[in-house]
Amino acid sequence: MTPLGLAWRSLSREPVHAALGVCGVAAVGALLFNMLLLSRGLLVSFKDLLDSVGFDVRVMASESLPTLGPPVEHATEAARAIRALPEVEEVVPMRIGRAFTASAGRPEIAIILVGCEPRGRGAWRIMSGRNLSRGQKDGGGLPPVEARAPEIVVSKNLAKALGLEPGSRLRLRAAVDGGASAIPAVEFRVMGIGEFAFESTEEATAVTTLSALRLARGGTDEDEADLILVASRKKHGAAAAVAAIQGLRPDLHAFSNEQLVSRFSRTDFSYFRQISFVLSSITLFFAFLLVATLLTVSVNQRFGEVAALRALGFSRRRIVTDLFCESLLLVGAGGILSLPIGAVLARWLDTILRTMPGLPVRLHFFVFEPRVFMLHATLLAFTGLLAAAYPVYLAARLPIAATLRQEVVS
Amino acid sequence: MNPPNTPDDGRRPTAGAGAAPPIVEAAGLTKVFPMPAGPVVALRGVSLRDDSGESIAITGPSGCGKSTLLHLLGCVDTPTEGSLAIEGRDASRLSDFERSRIRLTKIGFVFQRFFLLPMLTAWENVELPQSEAGAPKTARRARTRELLDYVGLADRAGHKPSQLSGGEMQRVAIARALANRPLLLLADEPTGELDEATGEQIVELFDRVNRDGTTLVVVTHNPILANRARRVLPMRSGRLIMESPASSIVAREEGA
Ligand SMILES: Nc1ncnc2c1ncn2[C@@H]1O[C@H](COP(=O)(O)OP(=O)(O)O)[C@@H](O)[C@H]1O
Ligand SMILES: [Mg+2]
Repeated sequence: MTPLGLAWRSLSREPVHAALGVCGVAAVGALLFNMLLLSRGLLVSFKDLLDSVGFDVRVMASESLPTLGPPVEHATEAARAIRALPEVEEVVPMRIGRAFTASAGRPEIAIILVGCEPRGRGAWRIMSGRNLSRGQKDGGGLPPVEARAPEIVVSKNLAKALGLEPGSRLRLRAAVDGGASAIPAVEFRVMGIGEFAFESTEEATAVTTLSALRLARGGTDEDEADLILVASRKKHGAAAAVAAIQGLRPDLHAFSNEQLVSRFSRTDFSYFRQISFVLSSITLFFAFLLVATLLTVSVNQRFGEVAALRALGFSRRRIVTDLFCESLLLVGAGGILSLPIGAVLARWLDTILRTMPGLPVRLHFFVFEPRVFMLHATLLAFTGLLAAAYPVYLAARLPIAATLRQEVVS
Repeated sequence: MNPPNTPDDGRRPTAGAGAAPPIVEAAGLTKVFPMPAGPVVALRGVSLRDDSGESIAITGPSGCGKSTLLHLLGCVDTPTEGSLAIEGRDASRLSDFERSRIRLTKIGFVFQRFFLLPMLTAWENVELPQSEAGAPKTARRARTRELLDYVGLADRAGHKPSQLSGGEMQRVAIARALANRPLLLLADEPTGELDEATGEQIVELFDRVNRDGTTLVVVTHNPILANRARRVLPMRSGRLIMESPASSIVAREEGA
């Protein structure tokens, strides 16, 4: 009989003890699983969010987040120069402004109005209707685009709030410097309804072309961008593109997605990592206590048998292996059981945390990565081995003759 | 019926062949247990030689050192003084692992309290030391069947200890002790927990085991069991006193 087989039989002789142990490890393991998902969840989710837009480099005028710092001046020229770099595949300048709805008889709603070429499509996904038309500038036989109502894609939130659907009209008044202005409202044609990667549940977003945004802002001839999205060429990669852009325009700040994520991981998201570390450690300590107690009690009850096995020629190593196997079985069964429990729990906690205001809809706190499996299993296995250490020590040090004698005398 | 150690298995010469070293040879064994209230001397210079095929009964009042002697002979404890040789090898020179190995392959133990593993069936209990010794599966199966048959429990192979009577448990324990064909079988009060009739069955079984070639040392209060032995060694206060005349060491040594 293999040590694992014997360990299984040993555990099954006290099925209630074993079941309690497994349940305890499962509960603790579920918490551990959650803490591991939480520790990097926001980062992974944030990286996914950045990647989902389809651009791997972002260029801004300062180190601040877009709209919080100064805009990039002469954006068209900057975009053209960046696009000419051999490391760069595509460049899309973006303007992020605010506007208020101006529908007669309805309350004003503050919205985020993004000006962007349709090529920036990754930042939103069309749910119904269609996207902004490409190449509006060379309208061919059509009347000049500004003569017709400019196109707009609105977010689900906005569509729902105003009952918009593709084909609807939407009047917007651009906000300048944060407040409503005397600029006349502009009527847009709703082309489609989209999902915006960075929109939060209580925000409303719409995207139109840069030129339409400029028009809405009163036709000022500003040529600024809050953000320039850059896609690197595959064979060069984001890092090379960042270096090339910095070389070309040292006054601008270019960040790859990895750089943005690591910036956040150092600052804003480090709370979760710290909380997760503390709670994981406590969790593992509970698992340790539980398994160590169970095994110690069980070994204490079996001293006679252990001594008899030793007298029959079982080596110390074999006895030790059997006990480690018992611990690993408890922890293994509990650990496997903890995964579905942990998954359900993570979902639930994620839902709770995501009700926090101002979060992009697609940002999650608990995010699964394959490495979490590995880490979870490794930590639990290590805890199992550590928890077995004391009972193993007791069994290994057991004086055979004295124990056999005691068992008869007692 | 297959004996536990068939004479033709060619592993060792039978008793009286002369040249082979004794299975165990103890000289001047002393065992002192240091206790807070002062040292307890359990054995005082015991010498004993056990040749192949012999049977020895050690008797004496409680606390005279019988179990202690048996544990030293069985390599589960080490003497404070004196020497012990197993098949001519000095036991004090062996590592813990080597001593385990000797217990596994050369010595069988039978305990007063049986100490069967309660979660294993009779079959599994008998098979366990064989798998620990690395016996291949087919050999284990054959040996286990043979042994359960030998102790008359072939039909209880699938039963757990809790489903067996005391006598049956002790028979399984004897089968387990014989699993790896030991040269020497040690038993400490093997009938101590059994009623008289059941004890007698166990006495019969030990007798048969010895006749079939396994050397036996039994510690017992049971006069029937003691009288079946070829040598009876009474003990008092950690010493072997005169042997029963029929087979005294002196007589043997004079005859040699
Ligand atoms: N592990 C031990 N620690 C202390 N004293 C012991 C130990 N083992 C045996 N003794 C003492 O040694 C003496 C002999 O014990 P033992 O060999 O068990 O006697 P028996 O088996 O003849 O009843 C007793 O006085 C006992 O108290
Ligand atoms: Mg005793």
